[in-house]
Amino acid sequence: MALLEVDNLSIGYNTKKGYLKAVEKVSFDLEAGASLGFVGESGCGKTTIGMALMGLLPPNGSVKEGRILFEGKNTLEMTDEELRKIRWREMAMIFQAAMNALNPVQRVGNQIAEAILVHDPSVEKDQAMDQVENLFRLVGIPLDRLRDYPHQYSGGMKQRAVIAMALACRPKLIIADEPTTALDVIVQDQILGEIKELQKEFDLSIIFISHDISIVAHMCDHIGVMYAGQLVECGPREGVFESPAHPYTKALLSSFPTVTGKRSDLIPIPGETPNLVVPPHGCRFCDRCSGPEASCSTEPPQWVEIAPGHRALCCRC
Amino acid sequence: MNTQDESVLKIRDVTKVYKGKGALFGASGKDVTALDRVSFDIFKGEIFGLVGESGSGKTTVGRLIVGLEDVSSGKIFLNGREVVGLKGRARKEFRSQVQMIFQDPYQSLNPQRAIYDTVSEPLKIHGVGNASTKRDLVREILQSVGLSPPDDFLFKYPHRLSGGQRQRVAIARAMVLKPTFVIADEPTSMLDASISAQIFNILLDMRNRLDVTQMFITHSLAAARYLCDRVAVIYRGNLMEIGSAEEVIRNPKHPYTQALLDAVPKFGHHRDVSRYGTLLIKDRDVAGENGCVFFPRCAVALEDRCAGSRPLLGRVSGEHRVACFLVEGA
Repeated sequence: MALLEVDNLSIGYNTKKGYLKAVEKVSFDLEAGASLGFVGESGCGKTTIGMALMGLLPPNGSVKEGRILFEGKNTLEMTDEELRKIRWREMAMIFQAAMNALNPVQRVGNQIAEAILVHDPSVEKDQAMDQVENLFRLVGIPLDRLRDYPHQYSGGMKQRAVIAMALACRPKLIIADEPTTALDVIVQDQILGEIKELQKEFDLSIIFISHDISIVAHMCDHIGVMYAGQLVECGPREGVFESPAHPYTKALLSSFPTVTGKRSDLIPIPGETPNLVVPPHGCRFCDRCSGPEASCSTEPPQWVEIAPGHRALCCRC
Repeated sequence: MNTQDESVLKIRDVTKVYKGKGALFGASGKDVTALDRVSFDIFKGEIFGLVGESGSGKTTVGRLIVGLEDVSSGKIFLNGREVVGLKGRARKEFRSQVQMIFQDPYQSLNPQRAIYDTVSEPLKIHGVGNASTKRDLVREILQSVGLSPPDDFLFKYPHRLSGGQRQRVAIARAMVLKPTFVIADEPTSMLDASISAQIFNILLDMRNRLDVTQMFITHSLAAARYLCDRVAVIYRGNLMEIGSAEEVIRNPKHPYTQALLDAVPKFGHHRDVSRYGTLLIKDRDVAGENGCVFFPRCAVALEDRCAGSRPLLGRVSGEHRVACFLVEGA
């Protein structure tokens, strides 16, 4: 049994302009100890999926259909109390702009100890502080910074503290939503390296969400490419990036500058993403696609198997 | 391209010190040297990349050139004329020649102004054209930044536009006077990859068609490699390496540039990456401030030499110059 099974998940937001279909019919599995990366541009629904997994959708958002099975149990049917028991303890999330997630008037060490105490009443305060020391060692913060306040930390250290907090209750699954976006490239590299080590050490499952293809490729064995609320291609990293099938994956790859490879390869994707209040009938990428067929704009695309475990949502594949 | 008389912008020994404010009570604060004797040239018709991490001083360079801040010492020349301390008419004339594109198109456009008002304002300030020629100039520039048909955009307000469209408006505003020199400060860091590539292509097109010399300020070596002819790498207010973009990225000499390249996720090549390994795992504690600025983090530094004095930019080959004692020729 997979640790996480998401089946036909659709999520929408009530907005002033109407019902916005942020995520439509997304299905994927995640095995224990595996890493899955969601990549796509802003507004493609990748963060919404993360929030729905945690049961933390904003008040105007709701799951329209589908199932989220965590260890076989549907989290969408759980009561708040049941959900609270698995949230943070079984699955934790590292948020975007996590450096603002720390309480500015509480010492960092105490904040993390408190998180442990709240979620496990059997732990004594001293034990909790010991655990925090271990966590600091794990994420590479010097122990003499335990009693500092967040403003005394650099951006990279705050990010490490937030990762320590996510690990505090020893979850099985970590959802990391753009955890390094605001950081400089050298610090980013160190933190990504640490997340990788921790994953190995604790056999964590990771869902990594990013707009940056190179980070997702660096971090994850399985890749899901999202466009305009739909998963459009997913499969093992080598398959998706070395022989991409969906025109959007291909276009995304060729619009991404790298420090290796040929310099002349950068090709922008023309146009803009569609409005998700009234999404197009057919393929959502149709308007920006390099070679659509007549049926693409009228018929919704079907999943096509490219190779075992590698599929794409496109009639032309 | 590299003769002296063709340089559009010359920066010589520019230093910027921010005075420390200090605490409310007690001793006055420490001064912060944002730029330390920085010198470089930007040649006519090129796109010059200034690459650095946050706090490196790269944005300060741009702000000093445009005159948004004053230099502490040093000189800046545009087409051979000194621009530091220009006043009155001379300053206005200079500002028609030099424009800036900012990072965040959600903040750099006035939300209460229609696109036409925003893009035509430079024309108004500098007294270019009458009502009808102004309208034509604005249409023309909107067309060339890809906002077409321009008449659809003239009377829209920024809130109706996407991030990419807003940044196009900001580019149009900077380019409408056909300036000599444009500074683009991280123009795509708020945008998605596919939209960034569109903006890069517009900037390249502006250089090719309008012959606008540009300075592109960025944290991304990959973006600089794609867009720029030459790049300079800046760290804590000091230029570390300068040369052709291809040369600096393919064949970096400075340990800091090598550390930066190590840290870029190598997409598609993650299995067989060889790393330079020039970054120390744990920073050194350094007492003085006389040494190389990268010394505290440099894994290959020579304890006595690099801690004691600061290396100057020295020629490695041709255009390629590096500020490091360990690089031969430098």
